[in-house]
Amino acid sequence: MIDTYSRHRPLALLAIVVVAQVMLLAFQIKGEHDVRLIRYWAVALVTPLERAGTWSFSKVGGAWGGYVGLRNARAENERMHIELDQLRLRNRELESQAAEAQRLSTVLNFRNAHPEASMLAAQVIGSSADPTSHTLFINRGEHDRLRMNMGVVTPDGIVGKIVEVLPNTAQVLLINDKDSGVGALFSATRTHGVVRGSGDPEPRMEYVVNDEKVQTGDAIATSGEDRIFPKDFPIGTVESAKPGNPFQVIRVQPSARLDRLEEVLVLLSQQEVVFKKPEAPATAAAATAAPAVEAMHGATPAKAAPANSSAAPQ
Amino acid sequence: MAYMLNVGERSDPNVEVHKFYGGAVLAVCLLALVFQAFLHKYGRWSELIDLPLLVTIYFGVSRRNPVTGLFLGGTIGILQDALSHDNPIGMYGIAKTIIGYLASSIGGRIDTEHPLSRFALVFFFFHFHQIILAITQRVLLNHSAPLFTLRLLLDSLVTAAFAVPLFALLDRLRRPS
Repeated sequence: MIDTYSRHRPLALLAIVVVAQVMLLAFQIKGEHDVRLIRYWAVALVTPLERAGTWSFSKVGGAWGGYVGLRNARAENERMHIELDQLRLRNRELESQAAEAQRLSTVLNFRNAHPEASMLAAQVIGSSADPTSHTLFINRGEHDRLRMNMGVVTPDGIVGKIVEVLPNTAQVLLINDKDSGVGALFSATRTHGVVRGSGDPEPRMEYVVNDEKVQTGDAIATSGEDRIFPKDFPIGTVESAKPGNPFQVIRVQPSARLDRLEEVLVLLSQQEVVFKKPEAPATAAAATAAPAVEAMHGATPAKAAPANSSAAPQ
Repeated sequence: MAYMLNVGERSDPNVEVHKFYGGAVLAVCLLALVFQAFLHKYGRWSELIDLPLLVTIYFGVSRRNPVTGLFLGGTIGILQDALSHDNPIGMYGIAKTIIGYLASSIGGRIDTEHPLSRFALVFFFFHFHQIILAITQRVLLNHSAPLFTLRLLLDSLVTAAFAVPLFALLDRLRRPS
């Protein structure tokens, strides 16, 4: 009997528990009573945990949202920094190209303004490593029909002459080099002299007697006597003049910016050039920049007039 | 409740009974109830899974003590009723009491460690639990609760699939024998 009870005790317990719950249900349904105490305990037990869960979820969610937002902001910041750097680089490239186009248009306008002269545009590709020597290298050479002692100019004024010709490059001696000398004259008085380099950035005009009235700002041009530069090409202006023995000491401010040359023109002949300052309309610059570049990088020297070029001495 | 879990008839000495760290059963049951109530706020997907049922089945088949199983199931069910606001106390209580008892009884007879058997066991108990609920509602509450629907089938499959990794996780709470 005891053994039977022991064997069926779980089943009996199950029946008791189930019946108890059925009675509880019936009590709630028939009497429409609510078992508030059980509900109260259950809620009291679970609510603190739910509150803690909600708090943790909101904190973790907030922290996660902040972290993700921060990561996104950082990634966006890095992306924008990269973009900004790229745009700055691009801007510098465009500025450089615009400046080059401006310079080329000036050179081209000058060349167009002097169709009688045979000229070749060239780019400055380097300068002398010797600080006392004022020379530079251009990207034209023997293959471009360049020869020794050809004049090199810019639309602003003369630059120097070619002293060394290699197959694809040439060395230009600037007018402020101490070995340089250019036949010159004052544009107003037509008084002759020689502009020589002194090793300083400014060359000097020599052989001008003390009696000659020279004022600061007086224009100095080529005399053509050196058979390198055509007559009346601008050299520069008088920066200062003082009496000397036996001649005046006249410092010349070169018209060409010798310290920042990038494009120059090589005079392929000593054809007379009536110097005219080029007009540089902004609209013409863009339209003419492309041929100028072509002329700059191409190997064929530009000749304005066939008749002139055939007569031009090399 | 911890006291209740330790009373009752001892299991068959030939059947392997898993013991758990102190408080683990209580904590897991409580967490299951809290999660079931808590996750309900974050989407209807939580309705697919009956966490208290899974906990009842797991501890039933692990401890393999019918008395402990029926009391554990009954307690979980009554608490679930109490938290559901509109259910009369005892509806889930009756269903989970029976499930706890059956799970404990079956746990000693079949392999309940293999994932496939766990899947099948949960699938079976889910529908059995639903049948008990439906009968209770029809007989005692005069509600027309369905015995089987496609939605219930989907729920049972999701719950059974969820049970496999959950049971593997709960296995870590076992005390080494």
